[in-house]
Amino acid sequence: MAFTPKTAPFRGKINAVTLGTGDKAIVIGGQNVMPFYTFDAPIEHAPKIGVEISDLAKEWDAPALNEFYAGCATMADYAKKAETMPGADFLCLHFESADPNGANRSVADCVADAKAVAEAVTMPIVIMGCKNIEKDGELFSKISEALQGRNILVMSARSEDYKTVGASVALAYGQKVGAETADDINLAKQLNIMLKGLSINPENIVMNIGTAAVGYGYEYVASTLDRVRLAALEQADADLQMPIIAPVSTDTWSVKESSATEEDEPAWGCREERAIEMEVSTAAANLTGGADAVIMRHPAAVAAIKKFIEELI
Amino acid sequence: MKVTFQIEGGNPVTIECNAGDNLLELARRSNVAIDAPCSGNGSCGKCRVRLLEGELESLPSRHITDEEYAAGWRLACCSKVRSDCAVFVPDIASAYQSRMKTADLSSPQELAIFEDCQDHLRESGIHFVNRFRAVTVSMTPPSLDDTMPDSERLSRALEEALGVERVEIPFCVMVKLAHVLRQHDFVVCVKGELRSGVFHCMEIRGPEDRTMAGCAIDIGTTTVTMVLTDLTSGKLLAKGSCGNGQIRYGADVINRIIEQGRPGGRKKLQDAIIKETLTPILVNLCRHAGIHAGDILRLSVGANTTMNHLFVGVDAASVRMEPYIPSFFHWDGLLAGDLKLPANPLARILIAPNIGSYVGGDITAGTLASGIWDKDEMSLFIDLGTNGEIVFGNRDFLMSCACSAGPAFEGGDISCGMRATDGAVEACVIDKQTMEPTLTVIGDPDQRVVGICGSGIIDMISELFRCGIINAKGLFVREGKRILRDEHGMGRYVVAWAQESETGREVSLNEVDIDNFIRAKGAIFSAIDTLLHAVDMTVDMIDKVYVAGGIGSGINMENAVNIGMFPDVEPAKFHYIGNSSLTGAYAMVVSDDAAAKTAEVAANMTYLELSTYPGYMDSFVAACFLPHTDARLFPHSRQE
Repeated sequence: MAFTPKTAPFRGKINAVTLGTGDKAIVIGGQNVMPFYTFDAPIEHAPKIGVEISDLAKEWDAPALNEFYAGCATMADYAKKAETMPGADFLCLHFESADPNGANRSVADCVADAKAVAEAVTMPIVIMGCKNIEKDGELFSKISEALQGRNILVMSARSEDYKTVGASVALAYGQKVGAETADDINLAKQLNIMLKGLSINPENIVMNIGTAAVGYGYEYVASTLDRVRLAALEQADADLQMPIIAPVSTDTWSVKESSATEEDEPAWGCREERAIEMEVSTAAANLTGGADAVIMRHPAAVAAIKKFIEELI
Repeated sequence: MKVTFQIEGGNPVTIECNAGDNLLELARRSNVAIDAPCSGNGSCGKCRVRLLEGELESLPSRHITDEEYAAGWRLACCSKVRSDCAVFVPDIASAYQSRMKTADLSSPQELAIFEDCQDHLRESGIHFVNRFRAVTVSMTPPSLDDTMPDSERLSRALEEALGVERVEIPFCVMVKLAHVLRQHDFVVCVKGELRSGVFHCMEIRGPEDRTMAGCAIDIGTTTVTMVLTDLTSGKLLAKGSCGNGQIRYGADVINRIIEQGRPGGRKKLQDAIIKETLTPILVNLCRHAGIHAGDILRLSVGANTTMNHLFVGVDAASVRMEPYIPSFFHWDGLLAGDLKLPANPLARILIAPNIGSYVGGDITAGTLASGIWDKDEMSLFIDLGTNGEIVFGNRDFLMSCACSAGPAFEGGDISCGMRATDGAVEACVIDKQTMEPTLTVIGDPDQRVVGICGSGIIDMISELFRCGIINAKGLFVREGKRILRDEHGMGRYVVAWAQESETGREVSLNEVDIDNFIRAKGAIFSAIDTLLHAVDMTVDMIDKVYVAGGIGSGINMENAVNIGMFPDVEPAKFHYIGNSSLTGAYAMVVSDDAAAKTAEVAANMTYLELSTYPGYMDSFVAACFLPHTDARLFPHSRQE
């Protein structure tokens, strides 16, 4: 008798969330198996890769990365270029310079950038703020308004500002909202419950359950990912069935392994390669742990992860 | 330099001092009661006083508004004396000690609960008898022909009357023997204890004076309760309670341990409990019952580990430090004379044994009183106080743990919080449509609102949640007349408008208060949850829940379940058993069986240290939500 492998799909299923519009629209989530367990049930929507574009991208200091974006001046230039990056599924606009403790760029300038990008590209757009609660609140609301109809994802609704962000982004302008918490399954669930309490449709919520670069307390991320996914699938906990997006590059490019110069750490080898390796290993860890989308920066890292996904799905 | 404290409703107190002295310290030194639950670090805002004349150097505080500052209001703990001055001390500050409402058996309901507990103990085979005897002996007075000395004469008479082989006469009896014998013509009553065939005399009196008294004491972190009982009949002779005098050294055990570690601190803390708290009540109770202090032949104490240490004057520092090892769990051989308590100097003080640093004798005594050690059914015993202690099990096993609920149940950490004294809101219902509250206030019918006590906060939060005014995180989500926001957008619910309150200040519950309370209830529930997990059991296996603690008297169990503080079991399974520590201590002092059983229960109880238990923090975060992150645990919680 022939061997028939026993499949074990779960009764719980991750919500399928569509980002963007038209041909380039993507769907994240939708599976009822653990990451890459295609032998249990088909995974219709492979994990997606987003490319981070910062409004401080000019300060990026990595030869191959700079080479890739050579000649780009505006955020829209960067975005257009990023759209051509092999493996890219969506774009993530990171408005770092809006931070009142940093460059404190005006909301109007940021919105103008976002609009210019939206006009220049067709890929789905994800918005990342500057981590300042007040500034982000205004920024998210204005960008959501300006990009109405593009079905964007706004990354950060936190327990401090979920009400204003949730109400403006998801309810008023019909965009997708990201629920951001810090490495704790209970806090993640609580935020989802509260967003649902605002009568936001759970199908419009994506989770960012917290990230870290590998080696920087990533164990917490790993166990949180694992627990969130098992609760969603095994226990069919509807409050945790939102797909997960992991902003990888913001963490990996700021750690010592990626930033220490070759003069300071001669034994560590090429700085850019180190940065790519940090990005690849962190993204791979997130994807195998349960993330449905990762946000990355370097074309070489994106290519490696794209290959990783294709081999496994 | 001089400071005069003008105490509202009391006589002024003046104390000499130096420039730069801290006002709260001065108040403590001169025994002026200023409530300072945070031990004077400026965080609780409870030590408000008003400067009448003179000069104080005061740090600004978020607890004092600009108008209040202009009117002279200062925080005593943040004020240094700059010149001769007079300060007004509001009455609410001293209310805690004199009018503390606690389960001290003063109401018929409490007495019924108390007697009920004893009946259950009798059913469990605890006999309420002891080996104390009051024997009246009649001797032939000595003569030139009968030259036996007094001590031998008495010993022989006692040996014959009791059928014992030997009689021991201690110093305190010997010194007055000659006098008492002759005063009563050699007909006397001797009180003492029979131990292994030996009669140990403790007191000698006239033949009519046969009373032997026992004293049971519950030393709580906040309140102290005491009963005097007749050792022969078990009848209550007198009862009394008051605030723990150590309160001015901090509201919780941690602050007290820090305080006792300062130079002279141990003595200060011990004096505060023995000289200032226990002695006055004891003297009062003796007077009330018409007995001599010397006739108190046994005492028992139910107190948490820290209170036990501070009571006997043993350094408690190790209770607070990892690995959290106290100086003693079980201790025989302590006598009233050692601590100079007004009682027979030979009276033994039975200390209900501690089980861990944070599960003390009050819990052992309470467990005894609850009777869960003799039941087949699975019972949960919860003692709600500054620390929450949980015991779970049945006749086959008992597990215990403690969690730090913080002072929220007693009104600390809550802007309008107060202990359960006059003017405290103890229960509340909110109308869903109008959002108007209906309040039950402790005190006379025309008592105005001063603040909210623990049971009132439980009701208030449960009602705010039920009416959809706050969300599961305790944030305000509805707008209305009673919902105000400050300049930072922080919401609050006005319980009483300024013109309605006793103090003339608005009484309101804000988001920070609610958050603090949610943490307290989260600590309690997660401790229960963790303890159940540790023995691989679930909430539906609980047959009975016994809730104890003076603070618990007014708790609406359904509201407590509604906010996820207690597990969601049928309301009929909840039993309020009052001050179980006092009930247990009472049983120990009257009954030798009970005293032995308490030691046995303590020895058989397993202590789970939550701080080292891996799942606890996780469970705690999950419980810091209304009612809980896992709503399936609370199917009966309602949000309309």
